[in-house]
Amino acid sequence: MAEGYANDPEWADITPIELNDGSDSGAMPLATIAYPSEYLEATSYLRAVMAANEMSERALNLTKDVISMNPAHYTVWIYRARILFALDKDLIEELNWLNGVSLKYLKNYQIWHHRQVLISSQTHFPSVPAKEPDFLMEMFAQDSKNYHVWTYRHWLVRHFKLWDSPRELEDVEALIKADVRNNSAWNHRYMLRFGPRDDVPDAGMVNAGNVDISPEEKGRLPVVDEDLVDAELKFAQEQIVRAPENRSPWWYARGALRAAGRGLGEWEGFVGKFVDGDMVKSSHAVEWLADVYAEAEKVKAVEMLTMLKEKYDPIRKNYWDYRIRQLGEVA
Amino acid sequence: MAGPIFNTERHVKYYLRCLKTFLPSAYISNDSNRMLLAYLTLGGLDVLGVLQSKTTPEERQGYIDWLYHCQVPSGGFRGFSGTDFGDEKRTSDNEAWDPANVPATFFALVNLLILGDDLARVKRRECLEWLPKLQRGDGSFGEVLGPDGTVEGDSDLRYCCCASGIRYILRGHSGKGVEDVPDINVSELISYIEACQQSYDGGMGESPFCESHSGHTYCAVGSLHFLRRETDKTPSAQLLSPGSKKFEGLVGWLASRQTDKLLGEEDGEEEEEEVADNDNEEEPTTAEVGGRTETESVDDLIRGLSNMTPLSGATISCAGFNGRCNKLADTCYSFWNGAALMMLDRYCVIDDERNRQYLLEKTQHLVGGFGKGVGDPPDLLHSYFGMVSLAFQGEAGLARVDPALVATERTVEHLKSLPWWS
Repeated sequence: MAEGYANDPEWADITPIELNDGSDSGAMPLATIAYPSEYLEATSYLRAVMAANEMSERALNLTKDVISMNPAHYTVWIYRARILFALDKDLIEELNWLNGVSLKYLKNYQIWHHRQVLISSQTHFPSVPAKEPDFLMEMFAQDSKNYHVWTYRHWLVRHFKLWDSPRELEDVEALIKADVRNNSAWNHRYMLRFGPRDDVPDAGMVNAGNVDISPEEKGRLPVVDEDLVDAELKFAQEQIVRAPENRSPWWYARGALRAAGRGLGEWEGFVGKFVDGDMVKSSHAVEWLADVYAEAEKVKAVEMLTMLKEKYDPIRKNYWDYRIRQLGEVA
Repeated sequence: MAGPIFNTERHVKYYLRCLKTFLPSAYISNDSNRMLLAYLTLGGLDVLGVLQSKTTPEERQGYIDWLYHCQVPSGGFRGFSGTDFGDEKRTSDNEAWDPANVPATFFALVNLLILGDDLARVKRRECLEWLPKLQRGDGSFGEVLGPDGTVEGDSDLRYCCCASGIRYILRGHSGKGVEDVPDINVSELISYIEACQQSYDGGMGESPFCESHSGHTYCAVGSLHFLRRETDKTPSAQLLSPGSKKFEGLVGWLASRQTDKLLGEEDGEEEEEEVADNDNEEEPTTAEVGGRTETESVDDLIRGLSNMTPLSGATISCAGFNGRCNKLADTCYSFWNGAALMMLDRYCVIDDERNRQYLLEKTQHLVGGFGKGVGDPPDLLHSYFGMVSLAFQGEAGLARVDPALVATERTVEHLKSLPWWS
């Protein structure tokens, strides 16, 4: 199937439409590619069936062939989705094929969008397909920080309301356990724990659409489960001691406190255990203290920032200087 | 002067080869992005200052004609000529299979400007009429219009940025001649963009609550930048207002992207990092420690951690940028992060000298161009963004570059000379 449309009786009634790159009318094409003949032939037939708006089995196979050579082709996927629905094809079978394509082309936007289009069909998928989490974990085994897969999984949670699905948290915990620096997994955990839960018209940001709430309040939960917040803070502490220079759990803790409307000062005691004079066990603890002191003890805040600049984070010297200047302006 | 050198001659050769000979067949997976590849090529030659001297007026006219060849009859541009089945076959039933594409339209317009075209053949009115049809109810933009006028493509900030850029170029300051064309919904777009700021680390993700990512952050800031330039009123005051939590959070997140952990040099790095992190990977977590209260066990673990060794700046010569927390430096992120900071007027927070050392010593390639990571072969995208990052820092021999249009200031001047910009 991969080549030879011209000699295939199934395609005899189709007149392929050759690539018109404008050279005949005197244009000089840019970014010209040394196209292999199979690609030129398959895309000539694709243009012909698209021009005829053909919804057929053979067109479906042709899209597969073109995708195998150019998975970033932006109309071939839309066309394929149309045919699948028009011919009422088995979408589970389509997902199985798509799994293979996804594992082959790890960095591709279209593949994941196509998956989203299929799964969005309420008729076919009133609930999340049973094998979906297993496949996503298979993708993460290839690259546990794959942005496309995480974005898709995020969408899946919102689409099927999976915030409290035990499987979501289990997978996130397994990935954090395997690599405590997996920031994508931390982000997903944050979304599960503190993200908005309904299809609010604010594009997902808690309170973003509420004009009565000041911008500073946006992102905070309207109702706070203090036990949950405490448990998440404890989880963050346990992960911090595993690798104190790993920024992810430090940021996660800031987010948990923020969502609950609680201040950074609450962690002053915990964070202080990492800093003894200029003996330091985590640069992020020093930054945390600088933020706490910035409220009322500016001299101490400057000391912390100076320590970062001179000893523990010299790459960001200019940034720490910027922060020190800001404190001076406020004072 | 000793130290690394930007090898202008090699880079010019690399770009001319990309312009005038076929790209290898491995590029077919980028066939649909030819308009982008064209932009990276023309832009590269323009930043190097040789576009005029190394191409003839006839060639430049030929390129302009190809760009117009990619214009769709109903307005906007295709990403490549491969979807074109001919005007005579085009009907309302099949035109969705040969649609105008949002990013391609933005890049086509910038390409025309780089080549000095006056945009007279651009279907300006049709294009501006098409644009609002791509906007969704949540304020975001899609990539193309599908059958029945459905908005196709992810909701993501890349399309928001390109749509804002198209509007910026074609409406200009005065909107002369298109006053009656309905505009996109600017305030909904701004709300969508602001909702993409991750509330806890300050960066921006592809869509709300997604992991913060420098490429998408660039798109968010670029989009607001294009929209802000239009009016005096700034509805996005928070994110673009120095001193606000959102603004300072974003600056801090961008600054924290700079790293001396480099893609291509990761072998051994990871293990070394574990050691620096006090070797605690094997320690039981508190939940697994029996017999003590959990708080005590965390305290014990902290007590057991060793102190950090102060880092001497002298031992770190190179520092590039990553695109997400805990990832490795990659050439293009010197651009994505740097350009966002340029637009926020906070480029001063990064270490420009270590960035320069990284690009010139680690990813600049012997044959010209830049690779993605250390030792990688050059490609069009990383070559352009590596050079533009250096151009932001005033590297000798490179033209000054506007961080939003990502084209030379000469090109921006040309845009501003167009009738609807006066």
